[in-house]
Amino acid sequence: MGIKQVFKIGAIASLVSAAVAAPLATAQTLLIKDAKVITLGDQGTLQMGDLLVKDGRIEQVAEDLGNLNADLVIDGRGKVVTPGIIAPSSELGLTEIGAAASTNDSAIEDASIGAGFNPSVAFNPHSTLIPFNRAGGVTRAVVVPSSQEKIFAGQGFAIKLTGEFDSVTNGALLQRVYFGEYGAELAGGSRARAYEQIEGALAQAKEYADNRDAIRRGEWRELDFSIDDLESLQPLLTGEQPVLITANRASDILQLLVLAEQYKLKLIVEGAAEGWMVAEQLASARVPVIVDAMGNSPDAFEKLGARMDNAALLQKAGVTVMISGPGYAGSHNSYLSRQGAGNAVAYGLPFEEGVRAITANAASVFGLEGGVLAPGAVADLVLWSGDPLEVTSFAELVVIDGKPQSLVNRSTRLRDRYLHPQAGTGHGYKK
Amino acid sequence: MRPALESTKVVRRLLATACSTAMALTLTACGGDEEARSKGADFSRQDAFPSTYKADEAGPVLIRGATLLTGTGEQLNNTDVLLKDGKIAAVGEELKVPKKGMVVEGSGKWVTPGIIDVHSHLGDYPAPAIESSQDGNEMTAPNTAQVWAEHSVWTQDPQFALALAGGVTTLQILPGSANLFGGRGVTLKNVPGRSVQDMKFPGAPYGLKMACGENPKRVYGGKGTLPSTRMGNVAGYRQAWISAAAYRDKWDNYHENGGEEPDRDLQMETLAGVLNGDILVHNHCYRGEEMAIMMDIAKEFDFQISTFHHAVEAYKVADLLAENNVCAAMWADWWGFKHEAFDMTEANIAIVDQAKACAMIHSDSAIGIQHLNEETAKAMLAGQRAGFHIEPRHAVSWMTLNPARALGVDEVTGSLEKGKMADVVVWSGNPFSVYSKAEKVFIDGVLMYDRDNPERQPHSDFELGILNAEGERLPEGGQR
Repeated sequence: MGIKQVFKIGAIASLVSAAVAAPLATAQTLLIKDAKVITLGDQGTLQMGDLLVKDGRIEQVAEDLGNLNADLVIDGRGKVVTPGIIAPSSELGLTEIGAAASTNDSAIEDASIGAGFNPSVAFNPHSTLIPFNRAGGVTRAVVVPSSQEKIFAGQGFAIKLTGEFDSVTNGALLQRVYFGEYGAELAGGSRARAYEQIEGALAQAKEYADNRDAIRRGEWRELDFSIDDLESLQPLLTGEQPVLITANRASDILQLLVLAEQYKLKLIVEGAAEGWMVAEQLASARVPVIVDAMGNSPDAFEKLGARMDNAALLQKAGVTVMISGPGYAGSHNSYLSRQGAGNAVAYGLPFEEGVRAITANAASVFGLEGGVLAPGAVADLVLWSGDPLEVTSFAELVVIDGKPQSLVNRSTRLRDRYLHPQAGTGHGYKK
Repeated sequence: MRPALESTKVVRRLLATACSTAMALTLTACGGDEEARSKGADFSRQDAFPSTYKADEAGPVLIRGATLLTGTGEQLNNTDVLLKDGKIAAVGEELKVPKKGMVVEGSGKWVTPGIIDVHSHLGDYPAPAIESSQDGNEMTAPNTAQVWAEHSVWTQDPQFALALAGGVTTLQILPGSANLFGGRGVTLKNVPGRSVQDMKFPGAPYGLKMACGENPKRVYGGKGTLPSTRMGNVAGYRQAWISAAAYRDKWDNYHENGGEEPDRDLQMETLAGVLNGDILVHNHCYRGEEMAIMMDIAKEFDFQISTFHHAVEAYKVADLLAENNVCAAMWADWWGFKHEAFDMTEANIAIVDQAKACAMIHSDSAIGIQHLNEETAKAMLAGQRAGFHIEPRHAVSWMTLNPARALGVDEVTGSLEKGKMADVVVWSGNPFSVYSKAEKVFIDGVLMYDRDNPERQPHSDFELGILNAEGERLPEGGQR
């Protein structure tokens, strides 16, 4: 056998030491042997299978690949491989400390720009949230702007969680819009006004597209939106970009379906706490949703129908469901979408659909790489210590673009420094 | 070692109260000490809004052949638990089936003490959250020790029932953290009530909410008043304790020497109640440095801190917590929303626990409170990954007996021990699995929640005729 390194799980679990991390990072070929492989692709789930990674791509998945040559061979017995988690809506790389304004780039306090705002140039690959969420199994994320001024928050983008400077994979992925209670508040007090603003912006974007030259020459009536904003809405009208609109109340969701039909939008509903009430309509309109699967509290009047089996009911009706991290935990704990999916499964979502809801569905909805373990697919994957949706399982190996990633982060560093806290100056000299 | 709650006065009062209620019949608890209350003034005013909670009549319950996590460090397989007259009557093998009782087949089920959340705002920040119901933070002065969280509780908050379905039997409702002294917290049994008194845990001591760090200095600094810095916070605490000590002395002097009765002062009563050991300090405090300062303040003024809450950096000073008998209430992994929550480690609870301090999970969240078993599981896993040997039989105390200690009710609840209140959860499986659910929740021996029987699932008034005038918030079978 041409195996250069065989790592037992113990070693993998603590990618702390440089001696271990170095060969992992340079491995060109990686073979995981005898793991349960949840491919989410044509090959389904292999109860015991092998997976070969070569040059950043998945080369082969099979029940037994035999004794292949690989730079790194990992014993996957008792472990589970899934595609890497994809956070469907986060502020990863745009925030460090929630309440510290100087560390936040997701929103602007300037009313002059709405849809045209795109914070992708502000993305910080060195944010501490990146290694922490990566250690939790997140390999890619959709990053979205937010706004406390306008119902059009701006454009979102996609990243890989490598922590490298070239992490932004798609600089203009979607448009984020607020409807429902928050949209109404921003629009001046009524959902009707918010809807009118959204509809009006789309109408003017269309008007702009049809009369671009005249408008740019100033030979047109005055429009309510800047050229920049109107330009950034064009990909919505052409279907190149999806539009992520927040709504929770069933009637709000239905109203958005009307809008989507009228403008042929690629609509994604974010929130959808009462989505189960209009699941059939969402399914027939092929509108996917992003839900917080643990958000069962009727903590707003627009969420009176919140329930634990929302995700299960939506999926059953044929809606594509993406599960985000629990709302209370925010972007810092995006990886907890895994716990959300576990809860959704506990309340009736089929297990594999639970895995799909935190991986493959976001990949297909947003057109990202990843989300499937199939020959030719990007090698973004996680080897879990056990059931990937279980709270007592953890990521033992995280691979992005075929490269095993470090799982060290501030949480583990602080833990190791203070494992046995004691008086004196010693802690100050611990790495 | 026991934390703050070894206050004999508190324990005595609990037992005395227990004796005065119909449900409490254990002879050992009913000594002749009822009169042995503090001779000084009654700063605690325990009887101002007395508990009117009475458990419903219920026959005995035998849970047969389950896996027990007792809360006292044991896992007992294939074991029975008998609940009778509101108490845990027996724990053992092959207990006799009671006459006219209910038998719960426990095969494949796990049983734990009821979950206790030391930090909740249910009822004070109820659902749905609208301006008119945000009653948890009296943000008008840095010291509002005179306000009591119980006076804000909207008992119809539908989130109480959600927490019950998550296995929570006891919870402390605290004021918010805007102020140095936020006011009194109250410990509730998680039962439906028309009044907050109907929910009050009989005899449980009051808590005093204090807050360190960013919140008070932000709120009052923003108003141009003290405190605007952490040092301003500390000056505020010390000045208040000086006043409180003088207030206590004035009353002690009056009780010893007579003379003119001093004027009552609600704010000072609460603080003096802490100084004489009747009220327990629950201190929102993230940073290690600040915890060390607060423990010194407690020494300076001779009181005991029960628990640091949101103690994100407790692991840094875990040895000091152990030395000072102070508990820490922590999250499993919540972090980064502000600077003092930046130094989070998932091993926090485990490190504190292994340093022999009293560690516990807490929620501060209407969602988190429903999943404290999962949160405890994550904290246990982080401890195991740190190299500690921590099993479910030990970790379960982080959500049961240790919060009971923090609340001063560990003599009467928090573990599966004979004579304790029958606050018990039957789980569909190992509670430290995301797939397990609380199936049956008993409070004082009464089946208050049964996942299999909609008739035994409480719904608040709010849920009636909402979304469906003729029905309830969710249709029948809807999974809350």
